[in-house]
Amino acid sequence: MSKIKTGFLFLMILTVVLGISVSAAAATPDDALVMAASTEIFISLDPAVCYEVLPSRVVDAVYDQLVGWKNVDESLVIEPELAEKWEISDDRKTYTFTLRDANFSNGDPVTAEDAVWSYKRYLKMEKPSVWLLNSIGISKDNMDENIKLIDKKSFSLTFDKPYAENIILGILTNNWGSIINKEVALEHEVDGDMGEGWLTENSAGAGQYVLDEWERNTKVLLSANEHYYGDEPKLKRVLFRDVPEASTQRLLLERGDVDVAWDLTPQLLKEMEGTENVDIVTVPAHSNEYLAMNASWGPLKDRKVRQAIKYAIDYDSIIEDINAGYAIKVQGFIPKGYFGYVDKNPFKRDLEKARELLVEAGYPDGFKVEILTNQRETRKAEATLVQSNLNDIGIEAEVTVMQASQMYAKYREQGHQLIVAGWGNDYADADNLAMAFTNYDAGQLAYRCAWKDEKAIKLAEEGRFEPDPEKRKEIYRELTDHWFENGPFAMFYQSVEFWGVRSELKDFYDSAFGYSMKFDFGGISK
Amino acid sequence: MILVLFGVSCIVFFISHIIPADPVSAILGGNAPEEAIEKMEEKLGYNDPLPTQFYNFITGAVVGDFGVSLRTNNPVMEDIKRYFPTTLELTFLAMIFAIITGLTLGILSAVFRNKMIDQISRIFSIIGVSMPVFWTGLLLLLFFYYKLGILPGAGRIGFFSSPPDHITGMYLVDSILTGNWSAFKETIVHLVLPAFCLGFLATASIARTTRSSMLDVMKQEYIMTAKSKGLKNSVVIIRHALRNALIPTVTIIGLTFGSLLGGAVLTETVFSLPGLGRYITQGLLSLDYNSVMGGTLYFAFVYSLVNLIVDILYAVLDPRMRV
Repeated sequence: MSKIKTGFLFLMILTVVLGISVSAAAATPDDALVMAASTEIFISLDPAVCYEVLPSRVVDAVYDQLVGWKNVDESLVIEPELAEKWEISDDRKTYTFTLRDANFSNGDPVTAEDAVWSYKRYLKMEKPSVWLLNSIGISKDNMDENIKLIDKKSFSLTFDKPYAENIILGILTNNWGSIINKEVALEHEVDGDMGEGWLTENSAGAGQYVLDEWERNTKVLLSANEHYYGDEPKLKRVLFRDVPEASTQRLLLERGDVDVAWDLTPQLLKEMEGTENVDIVTVPAHSNEYLAMNASWGPLKDRKVRQAIKYAIDYDSIIEDINAGYAIKVQGFIPKGYFGYVDKNPFKRDLEKARELLVEAGYPDGFKVEILTNQRETRKAEATLVQSNLNDIGIEAEVTVMQASQMYAKYREQGHQLIVAGWGNDYADADNLAMAFTNYDAGQLAYRCAWKDEKAIKLAEEGRFEPDPEKRKEIYRELTDHWFENGPFAMFYQSVEFWGVRSELKDFYDSAFGYSMKFDFGGISK
Repeated sequence: MILVLFGVSCIVFFISHIIPADPVSAILGGNAPEEAIEKMEEKLGYNDPLPTQFYNFITGAVVGDFGVSLRTNNPVMEDIKRYFPTTLELTFLAMIFAIITGLTLGILSAVFRNKMIDQISRIFSIIGVSMPVFWTGLLLLLFFYYKLGILPGAGRIGFFSSPPDHITGMYLVDSILTGNWSAFKETIVHLVLPAFCLGFLATASIARTTRSSMLDVMKQEYIMTAKSKGLKNSVVIIRHALRNALIPTVTIIGLTFGSLLGGAVLTETVFSLPGLGRYITQGLLSLDYNSVMGGTLYFAFVYSLVNLIVDILYAVLDPRMRV
């Protein structure tokens, strides 16, 4: 009797569970782009505050800037967004922007007053990212002289020096350059915060989409902006569903509950190769990984020793074995897709040449050296590989792994000997990297490596101010060659961004090209 | 309880300040300029002497003010209010699951000692303690979501469904209060796997304790008396034996609650639930001291509260303890 009862109870429970379970219908809505991503990094969607990679692209989708990046044959070029045109003064320091006829998502017209207010608001808020705008001469202290309202549709920005046009415009594409609806932001102002509290979770922009809802650690939902001046987005809704765990993202993608999995790991990608209905899409990223040598330390002072190290490294193994092929061989400092990119990779593992160089430098028996790196798995593996590569030419290297913040602190103080690290970029122009990797006076990576090379500094400065794009390219070619010969860096590769994508999505690659600086959600269709 | 909480605050404060890491660099990134770093350190008060920082922390914590989270820019208490309901809902369901299965298995094991059912229950328990929550979670997803497709894969509610109106933040409670039955159904379905996964962990210890204390009690003379009076077996077991065997079990339940709160971190990650455990982990990874200290202290508070309730329960179960 009791057995029958138990069986009956079990059956009842099973019926209830099955009855209320949702059958996981394996398709996302036709008009929506559904993505699984870790949204832990979403802190604020206020354009002046947001600095993280993925949230910045969401900001970019709901706000337009004066100009933006466009992918033309796999290279990033400037295209007008809210600025219809711009005139450059004779001294090449003042840019007068004329705005196009456009409306914010609530229907208000976009005016020059909104633009001036948005720029001044950003400067007044003094968020950490403001150093980039400060670096070209516009700051909180001088903004009233340098940002001028001309009329309803035009205003001007004056920079401290006549930088090349692509640099200026490239910097202005950042999401802090978004034009915010002044009236709406001020309606929600609390204690003089210029709307920051409200804009953290709401939008007041003139972009292709509007922020419908952001539920922290749960989802971010965008819908098409019906007042947008440009093309209507092909998919009317964009949903980021918070899924922190990569393996869960993979299951959701393979079952078709999401269209895109945003944070897969290279190992998962390998396993997923050949999965039905799922494609793996990769595009060049805006960061690179390198080995840097302190040019003020012992044997590394000698250019020939640095060359020897560059020839000892097994670049192919770093890309193929450590990064499972998910990296692009770029040995220059200018990434692929950037203005000024130099398509040259002169270094490959050549032990004989490396040993010869060491002998010429007076170190036939090598020396002892420390390689510093942080806890990121790939970096540790890269450092270990370099250690064994150097061992092959008689250099006895020891790997020290540190917390990232400690490592960078030591690096800033020029306290390293060798270091395996990476660099992320702010705008897609050779100048961004030339300043970091070649110009000691810029106080960035060349400085940290104590590499003060007059020719490199001179060329980097010339490249900044040369108005003729063709001549600029020539300068960067020369600088790259000089850097290959003398510089204290061995560039391993340019990183790539990758996604798992359902096969029914169209144009994902073209829309994603340029990530993390641009991502065209509206260009994707089903 | 106050002493315990003070102890916990000392430990979390000093551990987070002793670790050789620099939260400011972590926020601003490795390539940030020197001036930005200095400005931030000044603003956050990291240049104050340690005792001053500790004093500020303790005086704030007493009134529930843990400062502002460096990562989210919200007061930590506000974040806790936002994320804790999810964790509580999950832990509560897991607890219910663990108690029901644990007690049932424990009683059955004791009654049918060394029989088939006892062996099965032992294997079940051992699997429960030894399988990492993370792995159990992924296996459950793989089977029930990916292969069978009968349960959803992530989140608290369907991708495009709206949650019930916010009252407590716990979707189940809110949907009952507002009579939103479709949301209730969806939430339950979404919680089946995570609650099972987390509860599985606790089932084992509850079952084992119940079994051994039941065996102890069953040997007592009053059970013999009850049996010889001719009472039905089920009445003897439930009314006479179980009640007395429950005291150690209740203690274990109180203690297990702590490990469930801990296990919730991983369960929340695998099943994409926006809970407090994940919030603290994110805080840890980005060296956001305030959220880690605030969140941990809050967990300690809830844990102490549960164990206080357990103490009160003793008195309910055993009148001799009502002194």
